[in-house]
Amino acid sequence: MERMKSLFYSQKMAPYIFVLPFVVLFAGFYLYPVISTVIMSFQVILPGQTAFVGLQNYQKLLNPTFFTAFWNTTVYTFWTIVILIPLPLLLAVILNSPIMKYRTFFRAAIFVPALTSTIVAGVIFRLLFAESDTAFANSVISFFGFEPIAWRQHAGTLMFLMVGLAAWRWMGVNLIYFLAGLQNIPKEMYEAAEIDGANAFDKFRHITIPFLKPVSIYVLTITLFAGYKMFEEAYVFWEVNSPGNIGLTLVGYLYKEGFQYNQLGYGSAIGVTVLIIVGILGFLQLKVLGVFQKKEGN
Amino acid sequence: MHRRLFSAFIVLLCLVLAGCGGEQEAGSEANEVESVGSDDENATDLTFWTFQGLHVEFYEEAVKSWNEANPDRPLNVQLEVFPYDEMHNNLLLALQSGVGAPDIVDIEINRFPNFLQGEIQLEPLNDMIEPVQDQFVQSRLDVYAADGQYYGAPTHVGATVAFYNTSIMEEAGVSPDDIETWDDYVEVGKVVKEKTGIPMTAVFTTGFWSFYPMLNQKGSDFFDAEHNVILDNDDNIEVLQFIHDMVYEHEIAEIAPGGRHDAEEFFAYMNGGGAASLIMPSWYASRFVEHMPDQSGHFEIRPMPRWEPDGFRSAGMGGTGTAVTNQSEHIDLAKEFLAHAKLTEEANIKIWTILGFDPPRHDVWDAPELREENRFTEYFGDGFFDMMLDLKDEIHPLNITPQTPLARDLIETNVLHNVLREQSQTPAEALQEAADELRNQQ
Amino acid sequence: MTTEKRHRWVSYLLFLFMLIPALIALFPLGALILASLKPSTELMRFGLNLYPQFELWSLDNYTYLFTEGSIYFHWFKNSLIITFFSTFLALFFSSMVGYSLAMYSFRGQNIVLLLVLLVMMIPFEILMLPLFNMMIALNTVNTYAGVILPMLVHPLAVFFFRQFALGLPKELMDAARIDGCSEYGIFFKIMVPLMTPAYGAMAILLALFSWNNFLWPLVVLRTSDMFTLPIGLAGLLSPYGNNYDVLISGSVLTVIPIIIVFLFFQRYFISGLTVGGVKG
Repeated sequence: MERMKSLFYSQKMAPYIFVLPFVVLFAGFYLYPVISTVIMSFQVILPGQTAFVGLQNYQKLLNPTFFTAFWNTTVYTFWTIVILIPLPLLLAVILNSPIMKYRTFFRAAIFVPALTSTIVAGVIFRLLFAESDTAFANSVISFFGFEPIAWRQHAGTLMFLMVGLAAWRWMGVNLIYFLAGLQNIPKEMYEAAEIDGANAFDKFRHITIPFLKPVSIYVLTITLFAGYKMFEEAYVFWEVNSPGNIGLTLVGYLYKEGFQYNQLGYGSAIGVTVLIIVGILGFLQLKVLGVFQKKEGN
Repeated sequence: MHRRLFSAFIVLLCLVLAGCGGEQEAGSEANEVESVGSDDENATDLTFWTFQGLHVEFYEEAVKSWNEANPDRPLNVQLEVFPYDEMHNNLLLALQSGVGAPDIVDIEINRFPNFLQGEIQLEPLNDMIEPVQDQFVQSRLDVYAADGQYYGAPTHVGATVAFYNTSIMEEAGVSPDDIETWDDYVEVGKVVKEKTGIPMTAVFTTGFWSFYPMLNQKGSDFFDAEHNVILDNDDNIEVLQFIHDMVYEHEIAEIAPGGRHDAEEFFAYMNGGGAASLIMPSWYASRFVEHMPDQSGHFEIRPMPRWEPDGFRSAGMGGTGTAVTNQSEHIDLAKEFLAHAKLTEEANIKIWTILGFDPPRHDVWDAPELREENRFTEYFGDGFFDMMLDLKDEIHPLNITPQTPLARDLIETNVLHNVLREQSQTPAEALQEAADELRNQQ
Repeated sequence: MTTEKRHRWVSYLLFLFMLIPALIALFPLGALILASLKPSTELMRFGLNLYPQFELWSLDNYTYLFTEGSIYFHWFKNSLIITFFSTFLALFFSSMVGYSLAMYSFRGQNIVLLLVLLVMMIPFEILMLPLFNMMIALNTVNTYAGVILPMLVHPLAVFFFRQFALGLPKELMDAARIDGCSEYGIFFKIMVPLMTPAYGAMAILLALFSWNNFLWPLVVLRTSDMFTLPIGLAGLLSPYGNNYDVLISGSVLTVIPIIIVFLFFQRYFISGLTVGGVKG
């Protein structure tokens, strides 16, 4: 007993004790569910009845609905990356400039949307982009001579709403990341460059961009992953069922099959597929951007 | 910094306290949870979920009359309303997890088969239904049954009718009397459109009413009696083509705002006199009364137009099976209450007087109460009920199968949207694709 | 033109330019507040226009929230409880792990770090089917614990605390050991106070995450008296019982407290966030 106690208090043991809760929780809430998902993906599960069916669930994935979900998710991810990396970067560079006034105000203003939940943001978007001619968005486009649009009902306009919602909420967060990256660049670098006669553009290209690479990779990674697991941005506009499946995402499809149709096995197969897609994309992205070689250098 | 932290904490604390103060008493009309029943402390508590807010009043009445009739066994029923998808998904999860299901629940006919798979978590109602079985329209009991056990108490027959806005039609110099067949409907529609600029009807792109009744009228369905997929048969293609042509060739119909029969945008549109007629099951009358008050007195209810001279003029559509779950702690009491609320003669009379539905119990159809004035006759004029009664022999049975939920889903997400709104597929292509997916999943 | 003058012009231009994103960011929130003053069923039918229409203004939507029997503050309370406990516990566990990974060297250290990174890669959403089964087995469906339990592992927070702790002075540990302080004493008495900025930043981030969390509570919470705000509000979005009054004013009251707290903590939060989260 005494030995146990001294072991518990020993310097050797302490780090393990600190890490223990995490490892236990990891095993319980990540490792076990991952294994369980993989097993369930080979089963057909009904209340009280379970049977192994081999690859049947995966064969079922080859249907138009799954491809629609995959396509929607990919398009959504593409647009969020296209918008949510260059724009916050530009805004961060401006906000980081010493001649900019009221920086704190702008930073806070742009960050505030991140404080809303997707649901609340969705409520706002639905009111502004309602189908009626008199709603805000339609009255704006009518002013410019366009016909009113049923925003939620068409694939393109719905994608615009979903991406717009995400961009509105995430702009401020990514801005903060880029600002943090910018503030880590030593001022002397710029001063030295100025002495060498570099103009603003040269400085941006040769100092700012390379220094921001780690931040950019981080932001790209979280945007990519967030894109592929998107659910809420579609849910606020159509819940689970949308016309022509224009709002169906991979996680939405998983939710629908698992919880609306009670197809736990098939739902798990979707989950495993998403996991593989995300894994491959994450790996490719890190590989292309050369993160691995750099890591070894550290 | 610490002082700021502290004051922020105080703000938060105030919110917590305010939050706790607000919810001490329950039981008003203010929200979607309503608790009705006896003040008696010994009253048994039951929870009841529904997806249709309009049903609440009906069940409130049922609780009141139960407590009057059974003073020794008072009930206190908490009625909760959830959106359609959310309630059915929620119920499935609750039944699966063994936690959180209500005692009694309204399940929509097209989702019912989801709850009849594997080990069924609903309680059979045979001991309640069998004594009165002969008085009921049998087909309305069968749609909620599996292996000879009845799991749902039916709400209505659901005869589909045509709602005509006579003010608009008069303005165009036509009348519902001019319409006997679907061809007449189109011709009258052209006159209405030409004279008033108002479309004859609106078609739904995410709701399968209109389409389903119109094809069922022809004797067709999504599945045959043996559960084979017949969704892509010629009759169905023809009906969908007909609806498509009303919009794009004859230009007498337009896409309904909101795309669904229960979208707020659509209520607003009809309330503002947006279309001259609507083909919907008769239970939709309650939505007119509740959500489109401005049109009171302008609408008249008639049989659907026929396809052929001797064709049927209606179709029995939709439905709600009320079930008792196996998680109830008072299963017998819940069943008895359900029988009181939906299976008795009085209950079936109230199905008409409160909800405006055609009751599934046929021995009440001659009751004098069904001819009295109420808010439905006030809105639609007298003779509403007798007209529905007239149609009862012109209804084909429905084939509800385990795949019905998926069929509805495919039609409401893909088929109608692609054919009617986007025109990216022909009726034949869209129906065939959906039918193939159904066959693949069989 | 002198450099100074040019700078002033550029600064005006930049200011004007930055007004655009700031307006886009703030406008929808203003629109929501405007909407909450208008009749809600009309809004759901016709959408929001920007005419003030003062004659339609009323606080009815807000008084609805406070009527007896309104379930809104039930949701509010559930959200507060879940947010408080999940934030507190996640901070506690995450900081221990991050600290340990930064300050000690031990066998398996790299494996744990790898696990942390791995968890960051696994989308939690795809695990909901087995997790739900697990909650059934643990009897935690429709309980606060069911919502909170899987949220206790927060890899981002672990990573953040590791990065932050890397900058803590190790000499303090040795000094404390000489004074006879145990390893746990060092952590709780010396290191935790030193990590206050990190706790502050992460507290906001985790609280925000929990307050707005949607999918998992949607799966676990079954009855409306257990709902959190986002779940409850999302349920009001469809037409089934004319509860739009609660939807819109309820949305306003969901956002406002967070914004107030944020404005108090702003500097703290942003400086804390920039310390470690982004490196590596």
